[in-house]
Amino acid sequence: MGVTQRSRRWLVPVTAVAVVAGVGALGPVVADASPKLPGITAQDLLAKVQTAKVDGLSGTVRSSANLGLPSIPGVEGGNQLSELLSGQHTARVAFATPDKARVSVLDNQAERVWTTDGKSAWAYDSSRREAVKLTLPARSAKPDKPQAAPKNYDPQAVAKQFLDAIDPTTKVEVSGTEKVAGRDAYKLRLVPKTDRTTVGSVTLAIDSKTWVPLDVTVMPRTGNDPAVELGFSSVSFDVPAASTFTFTPPKGVKVTDKKVPATRQAPHPVKPPKAVGPKGEKAPAQRGDKPTVLGEGWESVVMVRGVKTTGNGPVDQLLANARTVQGSWGKGKILTSKMVSALITDDGRVFAGLVTPDTLQAAAAKAPR
Amino acid sequence: MSLSSTVDGGRRLTAGRHTLGLFRSELRLVFGRARTQAGLGVLAAVPLLIGIAIKLSGSDGDAEGFLGQVAGNGLFLIVASLGLSLPFFLPTAVTVISGESLAGEASLGTLRTMLTAPAGRSRLLAAKMVALAVFCLAATMTIWISGLIVGFILFPVGDVLLLSGTTVSLGEGLLRALLIAIVISLSLLGLAGIGLFVSSLTSTPLAAMAATFGAFIVLGIMTAIPQLHAIHPWLLIYRWQSFADLLRDPPYWHEIARNLLVQGAYLVVFYTAAWARLTSRDIT
Repeated sequence: MGVTQRSRRWLVPVTAVAVVAGVGALGPVVADASPKLPGITAQDLLAKVQTAKVDGLSGTVRSSANLGLPSIPGVEGGNQLSELLSGQHTARVAFATPDKARVSVLDNQAERVWTTDGKSAWAYDSSRREAVKLTLPARSAKPDKPQAAPKNYDPQAVAKQFLDAIDPTTKVEVSGTEKVAGRDAYKLRLVPKTDRTTVGSVTLAIDSKTWVPLDVTVMPRTGNDPAVELGFSSVSFDVPAASTFTFTPPKGVKVTDKKVPATRQAPHPVKPPKAVGPKGEKAPAQRGDKPTVLGEGWESVVMVRGVKTTGNGPVDQLLANARTVQGSWGKGKILTSKMVSALITDDGRVFAGLVTPDTLQAAAAKAPR
Repeated sequence: MSLSSTVDGGRRLTAGRHTLGLFRSELRLVFGRARTQAGLGVLAAVPLLIGIAIKLSGSDGDAEGFLGQVAGNGLFLIVASLGLSLPFFLPTAVTVISGESLAGEASLGTLRTMLTAPAGRSRLLAAKMVALAVFCLAATMTIWISGLIVGFILFPVGDVLLLSGTTVSLGEGLLRALLIAIVISLSLLGLAGIGLFVSSLTSTPLAAMAATFGAFIVLGIMTAIPQLHAIHPWLLIYRWQSFADLLRDPPYWHEIARNLLVQGAYLVVFYTAAWARLTSRDIT
């Protein structure tokens, strides 16, 4: 056996590396090829979305958020919402009309479950083996929420109204098709017309059969990686069995009972991660007064007054590294990330929004003290 | 015509018998070694040590995760032991055995004989790999059996609480624990492939073990660095912890399948590299 023939054998492992890398890198791209669907206008698509009616669905939702938020040491783990707003998460969701829902977040070797069958709601944390039971007030015969649409409800008219309303600020277009969770979907893209926001675009993937939104992607103005992506990785529109939504506290699990006062409207115990919209992020109000929204549309800025920003170690540390800015509004520190900017003034006001730092300062100048 | 086909058939039969014999002698070699038996003994002691520690401390479920469930249900001793052995004990055992496999023969001079033997180098390598895979399974099954015995003696057993908050029967729990043992043994195959390749490069078993373990440590460090998250899904041990997805209701297969694909990719790459090395090697 000659030397060349021998060294040729090394082509086999090299080919193996190439095949593995190729399959790993290109496989998802091929699978995500855009499906062929008949054309549709944005208005028609929006009208269809309103008429979407499913009696139940179940599936796996994946979220990944990369807002570029600075991680505050020592604060992590305390706030579940902020934890869900960063990193990647997988959750199993199920829903059935009118009031059954279940969300279970699949953590590493643990699971957090929220489920409601309409009469009671449960929260279960497998790592602590603790369950919280929430007894919901009996539903009145008439739903509190105006669920029933007015008789002259016309989806087309509502869609047009909506489009007209957001037209000055946002460009809305059907930007193509894609496969989401194995289903053909239209992409509806919203692009802010202003350059004062950090949001580049918001894209919804809408199922072409049930007209249910399957995926939402928020792109920042700069960079190619989504700031937020939330969508189904698998979905079924069969109504899940009723047993899916019940919870029997297992032996050895500590159960805490809580009652919801009947006078107040029951807070929806299950908060699907869908709520993470382009405006889902708010400034963390730390014992401040009620937040005020300044500005409109994409340039909205949230102001909170009377925030105590000193005396908290990690926050102090974060602010010490922040850039100091001043203007007619006073003096303060500015924190910026890819998506969110925050301005903390020396007189205890906090401004935050999905806007550029300059917009934030302009808003601060106009803001009431 | 008929004669030649008979001869062909006869040759294939002998070849098949050869292969079987080769595999059998390889298994005897691996499991006959004192260090293999000592390694399996250490693995068998893991559930015993954990069980005794929990029994003596008398804590009833303060700890989070599977360890905290052991006192309430002995079956979780199997899962907790497997989970705790995965980051260190099991990789160490696999490193030692795989580093030994070809380099050990080379250091004793037996590899030379085997390379000239009619059995064929490719088949020799296959026999080595099969023996390694059997060892991976034997290692996790040792923990499973030991955990089962110790858990059932020291702790109460009963219906099994899954991560999703639902309960399944003891039988199904045992089956799921068995599946976990199998998934973990498959998770070790990528590392076994690396060990086999490194072992084909040297005639010093200790060097092969050290290099394989070094590679394992480097992969572990890379997995722990958040800035490298772009390449994390490609790393050997990134999804090792996904075995726990078998304890969801219903089991969540996505991550497990990804993990096994990564293991398969590593195995194919390093096995073919070992093959290229062994078949192009000069007999010295």
